[in-house]
Amino acid sequence: MTLAERQAELVRCLVAGGPMPDGFDAERLGATRKALLRKRSGEVRQAWPALAASYGERWDEVFTAWAEGKPPLGSLIDGHDFALEHPPSGAAGVELMVYEVGRRKAPAFQYRHRVLAVNIAGRVRVFGRVP
Amino acid sequence: MSLQGLGMGWRPEIAGFVAGLPGLGFVEVIAESLPPQGLPWTLADLRDRDVAIVPHGVRLSLGGAEPVSAKRVARLADAAELTGAPLVSEHIAFVRAGGLEAGHLLPLPRSWEAVHATVANVRRTKDELPVPIALEPIAALFDWPDDELTEAQFVTEILERTDALLLLDVANIYANAINRNLDPVSTLDGWPLERLAYVHIAGGRMSGGLYHDTHTDPVPRAVLDLLPAVKPPAVLLERDGDYPTGAELLAELDAIAAAAGFEEVT
Repeated sequence: MTLAERQAELVRCLVAGGPMPDGFDAERLGATRKALLRKRSGEVRQAWPALAASYGERWDEVFTAWAEGKPPLGSLIDGHDFALEHPPSGAAGVELMVYEVGRRKAPAFQYRHRVLAVNIAGRVRVFGRVP
Repeated sequence: MSLQGLGMGWRPEIAGFVAGLPGLGFVEVIAESLPPQGLPWTLADLRDRDVAIVPHGVRLSLGGAEPVSAKRVARLADAAELTGAPLVSEHIAFVRAGGLEAGHLLPLPRSWEAVHATVANVRRTKDELPVPIALEPIAALFDWPDDELTEAQFVTEILERTDALLLLDVANIYANAINRNLDPVSTLDGWPLERLAYVHIAGGRMSGGLYHDTHTDPVPRAVLDLLPAVKPPAVLLERDGDYPTGAELLAELDAIAAAAGFEEVT
């Protein structure tokens, strides 16, 4: 195997649920896989603070269980994909609305749970009682 | 111009704290985090005060088997121009392969094949850079099964063939020694310290029987104790999250200065 093939096999094992490459210490690769997931979960917590806070101390556990085997796409996208599969409510729901409305071409709006998020000229405003 | 004294990793979350350090020798900024249109004003202010700024790349993947991306190299060169940097730094590692991003620095097999691949990428990068480059060996929780060289030999071969400088991270030295069941001080033998540009230091902690180089925990005493053996001209503290209070960071910087034999700067 070339170096390129071996590096690709190792990355697949570490972030995409690929098989363990020959000759490596399985326990150490497992620890590395876990460390990468924990780092990723911290980065998503920074990009999506309300989403992470809605899980409290369980965030790391819940996010890493979901992200296991899914290659990282960056904290913003990872958090968004997680939120789409785990629709949040409360402040985390508003955070998701602001993100989605902000990405659309202005003027755009979204109304959910008695909160209205409006994108006017690229700036998102939120109306209603934000939890 | 060479780096001197105590430095701190500049991060947006602690920008004001870093700017307020009276004896600050230099800062490092994550090269990929710099907006291409210009420096954030707190960094521009440091540059105007003649505090050296070192762009620190984390995504070039110099140890990747594939040629380094010309676009990424151009951005690192732009970052050097923008900051007026005396040098830039990157890692002896790879971060992507086969179209997948690992999201972190991964270790290379310490083989001749990896030496040649890394040397080719460092040369491609150096050709485009306006300033010298320092290369940092990383901390890893595992080794490849077919290592032919020790870490010191592997790094020496790469630095000598590319005439690059050394960025030695004493926390990485500590982490790798502990995780390989070696005495940290003894693993300092054989490193090309004559090429040393500066030293990194960072915190970490034991978890699951392994030392994790987290950058989000305090710097352990045993890591500080490696500084006198290295006698660095310049040391930079990296902190990447779970930021403590300003007072705690100051105490940590003072402890680093004392261990490195610098005057207290805070």
